[in-house]
Amino acid sequence: MEERADIDHLLERYLHLLHEYTSLRAELNKLQAGLYQNLARANFAAERGMRYGQDQYDDRMQASRRVVALPSSSSPACATFEVVKVEEPGTADAAEASVSKNDEAVVSEVQSTRREEDGNKKEEEEVKDSLAEETKPRSSEPKAKKTKDPLCWFGLITPMPLRQAQAQSVQAVEDIVPKLVSINAEMAQVEIEVRRARKKRAKAEAAAKKSEDVTSKEEITV
Amino acid sequence: MASTADYKDRQFLAVIGDEDSVTGLLLAGIGHVTDPPDSQKNFLVVDNKTETSAIEAAFESFTEQRKDIGIVLINQHIADKIRHRIDTYTAAFPTVLEIPSKEHPYDPEKDSVLRRVRRLFGE
Repeated sequence: MEERADIDHLLERYLHLLHEYTSLRAELNKLQAGLYQNLARANFAAERGMRYGQDQYDDRMQASRRVVALPSSSSPACATFEVVKVEEPGTADAAEASVSKNDEAVVSEVQSTRREEDGNKKEEEEVKDSLAEETKPRSSEPKAKKTKDPLCWFGLITPMPLRQAQAQSVQAVEDIVPKLVSINAEMAQVEIEVRRARKKRAKAEAAAKKSEDVTSKEEITV
Repeated sequence: MASTADYKDRQFLAVIGDEDSVTGLLLAGIGHVTDPPDSQKNFLVVDNKTETSAIEAAFESFTEQRKDIGIVLINQHIADKIRHRIDTYTAAFPTVLEIPSKEHPYDPEKDSVLRRVRRLFGE
């Protein structure tokens, strides 16, 4: 009896997960349909011969959205997935750029004070050179910085449908896909538990039947 | 049971799909090419000329060889071509998810998760 209650409880949990899975599936279908529609609109409005596709992909692309898998809080045997946006190096570069600007200001300040003092040109030039050397590599870094936005593969000015497609894709990748795979993992775990519980119940039933048979045989002999 | 070490480094999504599906997903910023000389991509664009063996090789690469893939997304109609591989794939990492494509809407009958559900309820 206890085993049956356990199985019922597990199946109830499984059906909840299944419901969540199907509703997320419906959401994903809706987003994907919108994405394909927007891509088709962008391709339709594009210049003759232009197609937003693999010809424009950047061969050195780096992922800006990555997977993070964590142990699930509900069942530690399976993992929950999240897709997070990794911090763009642009923010660090921007900070460095501001630092280099400050250094430039320091250079000009040093230069003006030196001129006012005694006009020791040799020393002034030395200071200028040493500080210029420090600032040079830093100021060149922001230029070398590459933007990670995949929209840039398709040109500087991208059509609105393509941007809408990107927004839908981001929503699908960040919100729906990780939930779907997490639920899938949890469902697989519950399936294992249900099968185990069923086996346990079958064993218990077989044992009960055996003991019943033994008692009935004893009754007959008496 | 999967240990933390199994999924610690699995940080990329991989895609096997038609051009529009891959383009759409790469727009979200999941595309990644590893450093040279390997320069391995985490996506495969499948068209009419792509052979099933190439799809199978990509699936094997993403699921068995590479240790940096956490989720494999595959168009359902492409998954049908390698259905035997998808259905026998049981590892927890990377996890495989079938997605619809432009010309082939999602079919619940073919979904491996829903097939598992049916098996559990004895159908």
